[in-house]
Amino acid sequence: MRSPGGNTERAWTLGILLALGLLAFLPLLAPRDDVLNFVFLVLLSITLAQSWNIIAGYAGQVNLGHAAFFGLGALTARTLWIAGTPVVVAMAAGAAVATAFALLIGAAAFRLRGAYFAIGTLALGEILRTTVGNALPEISTLPAASIGAYRLAPRYYLALALAALSVLAVAGLARSRLGLGMVAVREDADAAEATGVSALALKLRALALSTALAGAAGGLFAYYHISYYPAHPFGPGWTFDALLMTFIGGVGTLQGPVLGAVLYVFLKEYLTVRWVDFHLLIFGVLFIAIVLIFPGGLVQAVERARGRIARRSGATT
Amino acid sequence: MLEIRGLEAAYGDVPALSGVTLRVGAGEIVALLGPNGAGKSTLLGCVAGLVRPRAGIISWDSENLLAVSPHRIVERGLAVVPEGRRLFGSMTVEDNLDLGAFSPRARAARRESLERVFALFPDLRTRRRQIVRALSGGQQQMVAVGRALMASPRLLMLDEPSLGIAPLLVRRILDALVEINRAGVAVFLVEQNVRAALTLAHRAYILEGGRVVGEGEGPALLRDAYVRRAYLGPLAAGG
Amino acid sequence: MTVLAQQIVLGLLLGGLYGLAAAGLSLVFGVLKVLNVAHGELIMLGGYGAYWLFALLGLDPFASLLLVIPGSLLLGALLFLVLFGFVVRAPEETRIKNSLLVGFGLALALHALAVRLFTADDRSISTGYGGAVITVGPIAIPVIRLASLLVALALIAGLHLLLARWRWGKAIRATAEDWQAALLTGIDIRRAYLLAFALGTALAGAAGTLVSVGYSISPSIGLEWTLKALIVVVLAGLGSMLGTFAAGLFVGVAEALSAAAFGGPYREVIGLVIFLVVLVLRPQGMFGRAR
Repeated sequence: MRSPGGNTERAWTLGILLALGLLAFLPLLAPRDDVLNFVFLVLLSITLAQSWNIIAGYAGQVNLGHAAFFGLGALTARTLWIAGTPVVVAMAAGAAVATAFALLIGAAAFRLRGAYFAIGTLALGEILRTTVGNALPEISTLPAASIGAYRLAPRYYLALALAALSVLAVAGLARSRLGLGMVAVREDADAAEATGVSALALKLRALALSTALAGAAGGLFAYYHISYYPAHPFGPGWTFDALLMTFIGGVGTLQGPVLGAVLYVFLKEYLTVRWVDFHLLIFGVLFIAIVLIFPGGLVQAVERARGRIARRSGATT
Repeated sequence: MLEIRGLEAAYGDVPALSGVTLRVGAGEIVALLGPNGAGKSTLLGCVAGLVRPRAGIISWDSENLLAVSPHRIVERGLAVVPEGRRLFGSMTVEDNLDLGAFSPRARAARRESLERVFALFPDLRTRRRQIVRALSGGQQQMVAVGRALMASPRLLMLDEPSLGIAPLLVRRILDALVEINRAGVAVFLVEQNVRAALTLAHRAYILEGGRVVGEGEGPALLRDAYVRRAYLGPLAAGG
Repeated sequence: MTVLAQQIVLGLLLGGLYGLAAAGLSLVFGVLKVLNVAHGELIMLGGYGAYWLFALLGLDPFASLLLVIPGSLLLGALLFLVLFGFVVRAPEETRIKNSLLVGFGLALALHALAVRLFTADDRSISTGYGGAVITVGPIAIPVIRLASLLVALALIAGLHLLLARWRWGKAIRATAEDWQAALLTGIDIRRAYLLAFALGTALAGAAGTLVSVGYSISPSIGLEWTLKALIVVVLAGLGSMLGTFAAGLFVGVAEALSAAAFGGPYREVIGLVIFLVVLVLRPQGMFGRAR
C-alpha cells in the first residue's frame, strides 16, 4: 500500500471533480432514463467504494460488514423521509445513525487484529441483516402519491454531490493530520504509538468518516428505489461490491475506487444480459490476481505499464 | 566436510555476519564462542537453510548447501538442535524422536537410532510416552539432542544447549556429546558456557560483532590471555 | 417440553455437520495459518457432486462419499498448488490477510460458477428411505440425519487417528506447531501444507454431501456454512478435532434453544452473537497460540 498525497493525486482529484461537474449537465441533454440510471449507479458505487477505501486503504482495516452501515443509513433515511422529513435531512440522519453504531462497536471491534476484525465485522453485518430481515420482512414501497411525484433528476444530483463529497473527503484526508497519522499507524502501529499517535483514536475517526459516507449512500439508495426489502441494503453483496471496486481500482489511492467503480458497473451492466453473475466470476478471478500479483490494483498496473515508478515517502521513513 | 567462506548476512539493514570463514572436519568437535548478538545463531541458521545469506559459500562435502532446501539439508547429514530446543511440545517424547528420523535415509536406520538415543539418555526410555511439554528443561534438552541424532547425522550442530539447564544435566549432555563424537559424528557447538565448551572442543572460533576474531585449539584457547579476560573472568557469562 | 426436546435433538444432529464443516477449516487454519473463507463454497461443491451423482447415476449419497471424498482431496490439492500455495509464501501476518482476500475472490468465482452451471435453485437428494424415522418415546429422529451424524463422527475420528498415527499426520501436526522446527527435523513442510489443505477440502466435500441428502443445497449456502464453520472454530480453538466436533454439537443445540426462546427466524443470530462475544473477549485466546 502506498502513502497518499502528491501531485498525481491532486491532478486526479481535479480531473474527477471536473468530470463530475460535466456530468451535472447530463440531465439537461434529456437523455434516456436508463442512461441517467446507469450514471446514478456509478455515482452511488463511487461513494460506496470511497467510503470503504477510507477504512481499508488508509486505516488498513478490512471491514467485511460495511453493508451494515449502508443498510442502517437506508433504514433510517427511508423511515424519516416517508414520514415527511426533507430528504437531505433524512440522509444526514442516516449517516449519523450509521456513524453512531460504528463508534459504539468500534472500540471493541478494533481490539481485533487484522483478519479477526474482518470476520468479526462480517458476522456483525450478518446479524444486522438477519435481524432486520426478521423484524421487517415486508417489502417497503413508497406511497402512491410519492410514486406519482417521482423524478430522477433530484436523485441524480444528490448522487453527484455525494460522489464529489466522497472524493473530496479522501483527497482532504490524504493530506490532513488524520490521514498522515493513519498511514503511520498502518505502516507501524507500535512506532506510531511511541511518537504519541493514538492508534485507536485515529482508527475510530477513520471509521466515523467511512461509515458516515456509507450511511449517506444508504440514504441515497433509500431515496432512489421505489420499493425494496428493508433487509436488502444490509446484504453482504454491497460490502463485496465495495471491496471489489476498491481493490481492483487500487486500494489506498484516490482514483482507484473511482476507476474500479466505473469498470465494475460497466462490466456488471454489460455482462448481465447473458449470465447474471458472470461479472462476479470475472471479478473474483481478477481480485485473486490482484491480491497475489498487483496489490495496488489497476492504478499500480497502469503505473507499471507506463514505466513510471512513483516513489512516495511514507510518514514514518 | 563443512566449509564456510566469506559468509555475509543481515536482517534488513542490520548486518549480522561479515566475511565469516570457518570449517568443521570429519570427527571434530568445533566450538563457536562469542557474546550475545555476535551472530552465532544466525550462522547456524544459514547452515540449516533457514536464513538466507547475502553472500558467501557454505559447502558440505563440496556441495553448495545454499542451493538445498532446509529439509533436504537434513537428508545430507546435518542436524540441528536449535536454541530453546523447539520441540513439538504437544507430542510425546517418542513422537518427537520418531519425527527426527523423518528423512528417508534416517528412516531406514530408525530402530537402531532410537536404541542409541535411549542408551545415551536412559531417562528418555522411561518417559517415552510422556508429553514433552511436561518435562523439565534438562529432559527436554535431551529429547532435542535425541531428535537430532535420530536423523543419523554426520554433523550435529547445537545452539546453546546449556542455556537454562541445571549444571548436573549440562554435564550429562556434554558427556553425551563426547560419546556421540567418539562414534564418528562431528559436532559444531555454539555455546556461551565457554569453559565447558573449550574443555571438550578440539578447535574453536570466536565470533564477535559478526566477525571471526580468533580461532585455535580448545586447550590452547583456554589458556589464551584474551579469552581468559573476555570470557573466563569473574564477569564473564556461563561457567 | 417434547417440542423442545425434539428441537434439541434436531439441533444436535445438525451440529454434527457443523463440527465436520469446522474440522476442515480448523485443520487448514491450524497448519497453514490460512483462513480459507471459500470453505463454505467447497462444502457447496461437495453437495453438488453428490447431488449430480445421484441425479445422473442414481448413486446413493452415502455411497457417493466414496467418490466425493477422493474427488475433494484432488480438488484441494489442486487449489493449493494453483492458489494457496502462493499465499503461504508470505509471513504469517500478511498470510492471514491475503488468504482472507484470496478466499473471498475464490468464493465469489465459485459461487458465480455454480449459479451458471446449476442455477440458483435449492436442491435436495430424496432417497427411497428419506422419510424413515426412528422413534424414541415422543421424539422422532430422522434416520438420514442420524446416519449423517454418525458418518461425520466417524470421519472426524478417522482424521484424529490419521493425525495421531500416520507419519505424515504427525508431520502435519509438527508443522502446525512449529514450522521451522519441522524443517529442521527434515519435514518437507510444503508437502505437509498440501496434505493438510487436501484433507480439509475432503472434509468439506463430505460435509456437503451430508448436507445435500439431509437438508438442501444451493449455490448460496457457501457464505452461511463458512460462517458456521468459523463460529465453531472460534469456539473450539485450534488443535483438537474431537473438540471441534463437540463445539459443533454445542452450536447446533444453542441454535435450537435460541429458536425455541426467540422464535425460528432468530436461530441464525445466536451463533453469530456467540462468535462475536468469544472473538472480542478472547481474541487471542481462541485463535492464538501460547508462545
